[in-house]
Amino acid sequence: MDSTEVANLKRRVRLHYELGRAKRALLGLAPVVVLAGPAAIFGRHPSATGAFGAAAFVVGAAMLWYGRDPQRAVLPGVLAGFVPLVLALCSSRMHGCVGTNCMMTCVPVCSVGGLVAGLAVASIGNQRRAGVVFWLSASTLALLTGAMGCACVGYSGVAGLAVGFAAGVVPGLLRRAFTHGAA
Amino acid sequence: MQLTHEDEIEALLARLADGDRSVFSLVFKRLWVPMNRFCLSMLKHEADAADAAQQAMTKIFERASDYDPKRPAMPWALAIAAWECRTLQRKRFRRRESPEDAADEPADERAEANLICRDLTEAALTAMSELPEADRETLLATFLDEATSASGATLRKRRERALDRLRTSFRRLYGLD
Repeated sequence: MDSTEVANLKRRVRLHYELGRAKRALLGLAPVVVLAGPAAIFGRHPSATGAFGAAAFVVGAAMLWYGRDPQRAVLPGVLAGFVPLVLALCSSRMHGCVGTNCMMTCVPVCSVGGLVAGLAVASIGNQRRAGVVFWLSASTLALLTGAMGCACVGYSGVAGLAVGFAAGVVPGLLRRAFTHGAA
Repeated sequence: MQLTHEDEIEALLARLADGDRSVFSLVFKRLWVPMNRFCLSMLKHEADAADAAQQAMTKIFERASDYDPKRPAMPWALAIAAWECRTLQRKRFRRRESPEDAADEPADERAEANLICRDLTEAALTAMSELPEADRETLLATFLDEATSASGATLRKRRERALDRLRTSFRRLYGLD
């Protein structure tokens, strides 16, 4: 084979490598689709849940396809986001009533779920001594997964989730930054 | 400590599986020659070996993300190449068996093969016509798998003698075996 043929083969092989990764990424993110289905059925805003589910799927698949730190962040991110998602779905039809005043429990539950998810991401990030890319990737995916459930009361639920998540992840991130700086 | 060739390929494939595209060219370079050589040793045909090696490279890289760094890299890659060689062999075998595919062969090639076959048959019949009647009978019975008056060791000896005479006759007529 001459050099042109080898170059052509190399291009073709590279394309197959990327396609192989893409196929694997789409298969790997199938559980997110499985999560998004019941979340859209039980949630109060199926369109918002669907949109966050689609975003989680696309972002997660891109992370798996890219590989390296973003790939390693997919599982922790989805698992961390699973906590606020389940809590929000369970609470989406519950009310907290004090006397004659009733309020939806979705927002506080999302904040608590977000806090747990943030702590989980921070714990794994510190345990693995992961870089910024891992923290960002896991956080994005955790927020998108959690948002599928927290869209139960519109964007206030998502905002509650984000505040809770930040409260959980920022101390861990600061700890990581300081220990990394000291080392 | 210096890495062996195998260790190096394992390390490179592990990085490629992790998504490190910077090692792509190096992995390609390290695998292409051994894959080519391996396919050639299996198929004994240069063009077929090149086809199988290309197919194997495509499959290896398509599955590179599934490569388990705990497993040795070269046997993994060679197993894929061996599978491709066997697939190619099976395809070629089926093509030879299938009359529709045989019709796809170039008409010139088939005509030439038919001519050669006809010439050889004529030459063999001419050489056989010079043999005694008993030898002709023995050879025809052997060719057509028919029963003869003799059997066992006697038949074997008669067949050997007949073949020797046919060879001599063929050599005398055409100057070759």
